[in-house]
Amino acid sequence: MLTNILAISLGAILTNNFIFSQFLGCCPFLGCSSKVDTAAGMGLAVVFVMGLASAICWVIDTYILIPLGLAFLETLAFILVIASLVQFVEMFLKKSVPSLYSALGIYLPLITTNCAVLGVVLLNVQNNYNFIESVVYGVTGGLGFMLAIVLFASVRERIEFADYPECFEGFSICLISAGLVALAFMGFSGMKIF
Amino acid sequence: MNIKKQFQEGLITNNPVLVQQIGMCATMAITTTLFNGVGMGLSVLIILTCCNVVVSAIRKIIPDEIRLAIFVVVIAGFVTIVDLLLQAYIPALSAALGVFIPLIVVNCIIIGRAEAFCQKNTVSASFFDGIFQGLGYTCVLILMCVFREFVGSGRFGGGLIDITNGFRFTLDGTGSGIQIFPSEYGAGIMNLPFGGFITLGLLIAVMQYALKKSAKKKALAERAAAEAAADKEEDE
Amino acid sequence: MNSDTKKILKLTFILFLICAITAGILGVVNEVTKDRIYMQKNAKTIEAYSVVLASDRYDEVEFDKAAFPTVDVVSKADNGAGYVVQSTFSGAQGSITMVVGVDNDYKCTGISIIEHSETSGLGANAASTAEVGVKFREQFVGQGEDIALSKAGGSIEALTGATITSNAVTEATATSIAVVKSLG
Repeated sequence: MLTNILAISLGAILTNNFIFSQFLGCCPFLGCSSKVDTAAGMGLAVVFVMGLASAICWVIDTYILIPLGLAFLETLAFILVIASLVQFVEMFLKKSVPSLYSALGIYLPLITTNCAVLGVVLLNVQNNYNFIESVVYGVTGGLGFMLAIVLFASVRERIEFADYPECFEGFSICLISAGLVALAFMGFSGMKIF
Repeated sequence: MNIKKQFQEGLITNNPVLVQQIGMCATMAITTTLFNGVGMGLSVLIILTCCNVVVSAIRKIIPDEIRLAIFVVVIAGFVTIVDLLLQAYIPALSAALGVFIPLIVVNCIIIGRAEAFCQKNTVSASFFDGIFQGLGYTCVLILMCVFREFVGSGRFGGGLIDITNGFRFTLDGTGSGIQIFPSEYGAGIMNLPFGGFITLGLLIAVMQYALKKSAKKKALAERAAAEAAADKEEDE
Repeated sequence: MNSDTKKILKLTFILFLICAITAGILGVVNEVTKDRIYMQKNAKTIEAYSVVLASDRYDEVEFDKAAFPTVDVVSKADNGAGYVVQSTFSGAQGSITMVVGVDNDYKCTGISIIEHSETSGLGANAASTAEVGVKFREQFVGQGEDIALSKAGGSIEALTGATITSNAVTEATATSIAVVKSLG
């Protein structure tokens, strides 16, 4: 059990990093990585929402959708759960933890359309994870996302001063440097525990 | 809004991936064989067109406060329909694209078009918008697939084309493609995530170069025309 | 009832109506496609069985589930050629479902991957019908319980960029042979 959880965490953070090997969550990854602070904020918000969404969607799937034979409604149900969850978290934080809200607030609405969140709950179902495994996969997947986005934000701060051809401006040069970071992450793929 | 302009916008000047730069996850993830690229592109085209039509048809009866929620429900509905149909009739495609089919729900292209275009336009305009934007997306996917497959494994049309018994299209993803040079000499790294990032980055750069060049040309032509007009006035 | 509550009720009603319509349509589509999807999945399994070990019929046999948790089904080929083992285990991206044919000398007669979610173009090659996949799977034919990747001293060449997938498949093949051996 413990090795299993360790394997899931290690996979989600390093070997199967959500961004660099599964391409989940690329839009916010490129959109919110121009500064390290914003990247860290976005990363934290994603960790939070992915963990919560994994837990809630697992419960809904196992106790409502599957017993009723409605597994085909999974995608629809999950996206609605995520959208309302994000709204709730936003309202809750605004009322009770204003300091956290001011740090994460602006990133929360963006998360609804982050495919890493929907991706993680769909992968939980596909991999037949149990409750604990799902939550671990959600949280560590979020941590992997955060690691990737913070690392990449620091790379991007340096790109600012680089001299590259004019037509590579914007996303183009970002994608190419992201490719190089992805290449570095491939080095983890030989890692294995057991 | 005429059709020709919409066509140009979808494919070139306002291409969803290369210019609007949205919906990139799937673009980079699944473009390893032509079969995947064409399958994904057509799925998105169908879903986008259906959603566009429905959203623009009901645009007057949906309250503004909950429009996003309604868009999401409509999109998720169509995505699930396509997902089920693919599982039933083209299982190979469904297996190859895996989680990226349900993830079309959060593909920004669809919700973006609903929000930016269909809310304000008629059903027929939205229909064509869906087709052309979808085509633009499909073209980018195909370009990326062809490039990555060729450089990565020296092949063209993997999964979709089979030439072992004469040329034919295989819709079940079993075709081995046309081997242009032996796959051992291919840069296998193009099949890795790295290849996805690099290919899309280069493609965007080429697009930006072309757009800038044509903009410059246009500006030059305009200036020349303006000067000519000014000269004419002076002559008079 | 003040106007605020009225508005909220109205919005809820509209949203609910749209959800209900969508769910209804999906229900119909699901009804229509359900049997076909089930058939497609089954057809794949049956085909996989005949690929790894040809026989007209396969009879399920009992095995020690506690000792081999990844093994789903062990079936004996009716013509006495050996056994077919179906197992589900984790690959690089998600779970892989695979069948392995094992002959009476406890050698592998072939493997076939029914379901997987490995990276397209890398791990997915293990299941692909293209040359690279066929070559990869051919290596397993004739291997015994001591099967291993060439990196670990065996003779299976791992797929490029997909060591984890290759290793998982190799280990599952060893497990499948072991489960047949345990039957005696």
